[in-house]
Amino acid sequence: MNEACQRYAEDPEGNAAHLSECRTCREMYAMLDAPIDSQPVRVEALPLAAWEGAAYRSWPLVIGGALALAAVALGLCAAAGISPLAALEAGARFDWRGLLQMATQAVRPLGPIGFSALFVAVNIVLILLLRRAPRGIDA
Amino acid sequence: MRKAVLIALTILATVVTALIASPPFKTSLTLSEAASMMTRTAVIVSILFVWIIAAIVVTLMSGREIRYSSIELRTSPLHCFALGLVAVTSFVLTAILFSYLIPYVVGIPLLIALAVFAILTKIYGTIAVFHAVGAIVANARSREDLAKRRWLRGDLALVVIGVLLLGAIRLIPVVGVVAWGIASVFGIGTALATKFGRREPWFLVWRPISAE
Repeated sequence: MNEACQRYAEDPEGNAAHLSECRTCREMYAMLDAPIDSQPVRVEALPLAAWEGAAYRSWPLVIGGALALAAVALGLCAAAGISPLAALEAGARFDWRGLLQMATQAVRPLGPIGFSALFVAVNIVLILLLRRAPRGIDA
Repeated sequence: MRKAVLIALTILATVVTALIASPPFKTSLTLSEAASMMTRTAVIVSILFVWIIAAIVVTLMSGREIRYSSIELRTSPLHCFALGLVAVTSFVLTAILFSYLIPYVVGIPLLIALAVFAILTKIYGTIAVFHAVGAIVANARSREDLAKRRWLRGDLALVVIGVLLLGAIRLIPVVGVVAWGIASVFGIGTALATKFGRREPWFLVWRPISAE
């Protein structure tokens, strides 16, 4: 594209003679002016999108599932002779301190420099993995 | 076809659970062993009930985010798993680092903040895994299939199906714990990969200001 082409692009009516001189512009603008062969989109031919029907709330299934699970949990608690609250408390109990002490003991042989190197390396890998854009919808 | 596979999977999970819960190779079971097994199962099912309530509430509050994370998990499972493993390792190493700061006052609030973040990531991610499992097993594959269904459609139904399926697997000794551990790693990975379903970048790209 030379200066004459640029001038025509900026002011087509003022530089109308350029079109008869420049073959490239003539072909390009002829292509731009050509009618577009548009066809209606056939929705049924497209694959089912993940959001189609996703907002539907299936209350019978949800309430039925939750109630069935609650009934089984209550029945088992009664059979085991424990209260549901005690069962929940036992299930939610987690020995954070023990886990932390075990992990500390596991990395102790590395020493301060080794631990620092491991910490930096793992977090660099984490940052590199987090930099990748999610693909889900576009894939 | 899919309905038959779903029913077959459910029956198989039930049979495996029943076989392991009452093993035929062990003829005698003492009363204390039976009571212990009953208590353990009661505890697991009670926790599953909490999971189903949490899953329903989170899906009602942010169904789109859960769906996006579930899609990401199904599209890039290896990336999610790798990210989950690295993230769990990073959580543990960061917790060790913060535990060294406990003698100074700043260590405890940092540890609490890390624990809260890790727990929220695990809960959100596990619910995304429930959705993914439900979608793999019971999602409609065509519009005709979707239109024919009365109950088995929508994010909420998929999440409930996922909780029930993974819950049945959780009842199997050893296998259940391993399966839920793997599901947690996948969940943490997908939660972080999609920034809790918001699909925003974690880091801004640095560019120098160009002189015009």
